[in-house]
Amino acid sequence: MLKRILFIIGSLLILIFILFSLFPAAFAPYELKEMDEPWLKCSKTHLLGTNKLGYDILTEIIYGTRETLTIGVTASILALALGLIFGGISCENNLFGRLSTALINIMAMVPRLITLIVLSTFFYSSQSVMILLIAIFSFAPIAKVIGARVRMLNHESFIESLNIQGFSKMHILLFHIIPNLKDVIATRFLLGINSSIMLEASLSFLGFGDIYHPTWGTMVNLAYKNGAFLRRSFNYLLSPGLAIMLLSLSFYLILLSLEDNFDVIKEKI
Amino acid sequence: MNRERSFKIAIYCFLFIIILNFILPRMMRGNPIAYLTGMDEASLSVAQYEYYEKALHLDKNIFIQFLYYLKSLVDGTLGYSFKKQSYVAPLVLSRLRVTLLLVLPSAILAAILGLVLGLRGAYNKNKYLERTLTPIMVVLNAIPLFLLSLLLIMTLSFSYKLFPYSGLGTGFLDRVYHLVLPVLAITLALLPSRYLLVRNMGCERAKSKSVLYASQRGLRATTIRYSYILPEIISAYITNVGLSIGSGIAGSVIVEKIFSINGMGSLLNEAIFTLDYPLLQGILFITTLAMLIAVGLTNIFSFLIDPRERRRNA
Repeated sequence: MLKRILFIIGSLLILIFILFSLFPAAFAPYELKEMDEPWLKCSKTHLLGTNKLGYDILTEIIYGTRETLTIGVTASILALALGLIFGGISCENNLFGRLSTALINIMAMVPRLITLIVLSTFFYSSQSVMILLIAIFSFAPIAKVIGARVRMLNHESFIESLNIQGFSKMHILLFHIIPNLKDVIATRFLLGINSSIMLEASLSFLGFGDIYHPTWGTMVNLAYKNGAFLRRSFNYLLSPGLAIMLLSLSFYLILLSLEDNFDVIKEKI
Repeated sequence: MNRERSFKIAIYCFLFIIILNFILPRMMRGNPIAYLTGMDEASLSVAQYEYYEKALHLDKNIFIQFLYYLKSLVDGTLGYSFKKQSYVAPLVLSRLRVTLLLVLPSAILAAILGLVLGLRGAYNKNKYLERTLTPIMVVLNAIPLFLLSLLLIMTLSFSYKLFPYSGLGTGFLDRVYHLVLPVLAITLALLPSRYLLVRNMGCERAKSKSVLYASQRGLRATTIRYSYILPEIISAYITNVGLSIGSGIAGSVIVEKIFSINGMGSLLNEAIFTLDYPLLQGILFITTLAMLIAVGLTNIFSFLIDPRERRRNA
């Protein structure tokens, strides 16, 4: 019962965010660049106040949903693909398998945020580069889980019997192993979106955001740069962060309703 | 993760970062001088260009360059920051102390709190505490660190004026007073993953027959937690805590920016702003080195407290 409630709340929240990202104009109370008095507090006309240029903050958040979700979803899909490939290879008992295991172990231990910061200063930080970098630095835990599961499946009797019957490796992989990875893939996909959004928010907060695709993290960075902290304009500083928190919570709610244990939740920085 | 294995991987990880640092400026499009000095290539005069090329040994072949690079790591200079007109190592090390002042207390605090609360969550006779703790941790884990810091500042420094929100203060007590909020922020950021790790490992152990027997004998829950479950998970947990130094330093980068603390994190922020590539790479190197040392130390520590190891060597 409780699980069903969690699931409903989580999916409703996500549905709202998806609708925001698909039809921002329908939900935003103002146009994107519509100006009013700057630094307004929360009020009836501006639910979350206005920023330095007088733009409505709620409108900016709604328009930022698409950019935030785009990064989260694409980075997660890429990381999942990398995780499947490397996790699969790491089960092979040859040189490639060992190399891939070593790579996975190293990538899982590298201090993520600092390495990402260094790499993003070297590469021009556009949205696509950021997605790629985030995916590269978050595939390792996925690959580990997938590798462990595939190794377990390889010892199951039905896979062994298929092997004896002479089915090709490709056939076994596509029709028997991958369908058995469904639940891992689903939870890892949701978690990946979550952690990518968190990582992106931290990077954007430090100033690596793509200003042509402003996400919520970029908004906080801009608020900080424009002196919202000194002006005590907490509505501007906090609301994008709260949006990130709500989105991430909704993913957790769905995950918790699917999973019994909480070991899906890992470190965020 | 196995103990010796984790140290071996940490060493490989360290080598990986060393090689990455060498390759990065040289594989980028454009002249490596731009990346090794952080200067704009177009604004350099011919004399300056030749000077840099010679100073950075870019006229030699790539293997000689690598040897010079290794030499800079070994002799403790870590390269030269032309923007700051100084060697990288002294720059970073002068700020590292402050960052460690933030990271070490929070890592240790989060480790202890995570252990105590996680064991409570794992084995409990009345389930109410566990039922409230776990959701709190899940919510806490959903809050980005910058939001957490801002919330702490907003409530504890602006509304109640309990703690200062910037700088480090002078003198011992004042410094501790200034460190409370930033340390609290990093601790809260690290805590949920610690808690959930202990809880998951502990839950598995709590299902074992020895625990069932102990509880049937009517032993107190505290005894079961600390004498039955803790010894089995402590080794793996300590190894994991050593690894968290890396994320602690990452957290410190964000927290130092918000609390305007002059540590390695704000040095990193300056380096991002001025595109000081050598400095950035130096910070990455030092961070990985700190992680390696932490993993090594925690390995030794968990070796010392593991009775199986002691018996094997006796």
